[in-house]
Order: sequence, then C-alpha cells, then structure tokens
Amino acid sequence: MGIFDKLGGKKEEKPRADFSNVQSGSSTTAPEPSAPAPTPDPGPPVGTSGQDQTYTVVAGDSLSKIAKRYYGDANQWRRIHEANRDQITNPDLIHPGQRLKIPGSEGA
Amino acid sequence: MQHSRRIPVSVCLALLMMSAACNRGGADNTGTPSNTALRVTDVTLGRAVGGDKAITDRTETFRANDTIYASVATEGAASSATLRARWTFEDGQVVDESTQKIAPNNRERTEFHISKPNGWPAGKYKLEVFLDERSAETKNFDVRAN
Repeated sequence: MGIFDKLGGKKEEKPRADFSNVQSGSSTTAPEPSAPAPTPDPGPPVGTSGQDQTYTVVAGDSLSKIAKRYYGDANQWRRIHEANRDQITNPDLIHPGQRLKIPGSEGA
Repeated sequence: MQHSRRIPVSVCLALLMMSAACNRGGADNTGTPSNTALRVTDVTLGRAVGGDKAITDRTETFRANDTIYASVATEGAASSATLRARWTFEDGQVVDESTQKIAPNNRERTEFHISKPNGWPAGKYKLEVFLDERSAETKNFDVRAN
C-alpha cells in the first residue's frame, strides 16, 4: 500500500462502505404457507351426512372433484359453490390453501 | 332457390360449433387454475408502501436517510414459494438479503424494505428478486447525498 502511494500508482481509494447496521423486513398480501403443505384429510366417506365440514383446497382440486369426494357426485359442485359464495366468485378458480365449507349432505 | 337451401346448412354448422364451444365451460371442467405457474410480474421501488403492499411514493433515486421499499407483484398460485430480495452496492457488496415465504392465491404483492440508521452511502445500487432461487427481476437505483 505504501509502495503504491509512493509510486503514485494509486490514488486514495474510496473507503469500503459499511452496511453492517442495515435493517430490513418484508411483508406480503399472500397467505404464508402452512407448516407442512395442506394435505387432504383422508376425507369423509362418500355419503357422509349431517354437519357442515371444512376442507382445505390442495393443488389439483376443483369443485367437481371435491363434490365427488364428499357427495359421490361431481355434479353437486354447485352446493359447495353456493356455500362459499363469499370466497368463490368463479367456480373454475379455487386455490390451494382455501378453506371451503362443505355443507352436510341433507337427506342423504 | 338453390341459394336458400345452402344457407340453412351453413347456419346449422355454425350453431353446432357454437354449442360445442359452450359445452366446454362450467365447473365440471376439472382444469385447475390453481396450478397456474407462479411468476413475478413487476417490481417497483419507492419510499413508502400502502396496506396493499404497493408502492405509494415511487422513485428510483433515494436520499441517504430514506427507507427503500421494493414491491414485488406476483401472479399465479402455489402452495409454497420463496421470494428473495438481494440488495447490492455498486462495488458488489451485498447490502442485505431477505426472504419471504408465500402461498399465493392469484395476484399478490410482497414488499421488502431496507433502512440504514446512519444513512446510505451515495452511489448506485441494485436489487435482484429471486423466485424460488431463480432470478426473476433486477432493478437499479441511486442514492444521492442529502
């Protein structure tokens, strides 16, 4: 360093900036992933009746699939759609992590 | 007269095609929009963010005492994804690196911010945003002395 200075090879170097006290953070509008990825519970047997239940949507689900699983009839998707109007505007669009109310199969 | 026979046939064909197209809609379609590939659609910089995590005071030239915000817009769904923001100074020093785990439903915004109590050194900076460890977008910005 001294030699360089003496030879005039290098002028005063810019001191290295110190970023040791930088503070940072983040936040998001997106839900945070739940600890392990939501796994579909084994699911109630087809034809289960009675009380409403809650189902957490996983990738690959559709209302028809869920209806098939809970009611044994994919065409019953409308019941799930109706019960979840507040969070499903487009029945073709449901998202992993969404918690859907599954109305009990009345009269079944 | 011959013409009048041909027209109804073409009309029928058109109606058939329209009806086929209509039948493809509806919730019975087991296509899963939830599998839509997640991607970063936009990164904006500024001095403040709103509750929706969008920048409210947009700029790419900051003052030494500013808190620097980056708002990262994503589109698509995933049960788990990681956004990482890496901030670097002009000399290559990493200023900060932070991550945010997300499980986005569709369009979401994630903000990252950095501040430095004794002020940012003036110079050129870079923000690189990674989505699941893949570089998604880079933004350059300046800090000018107060």
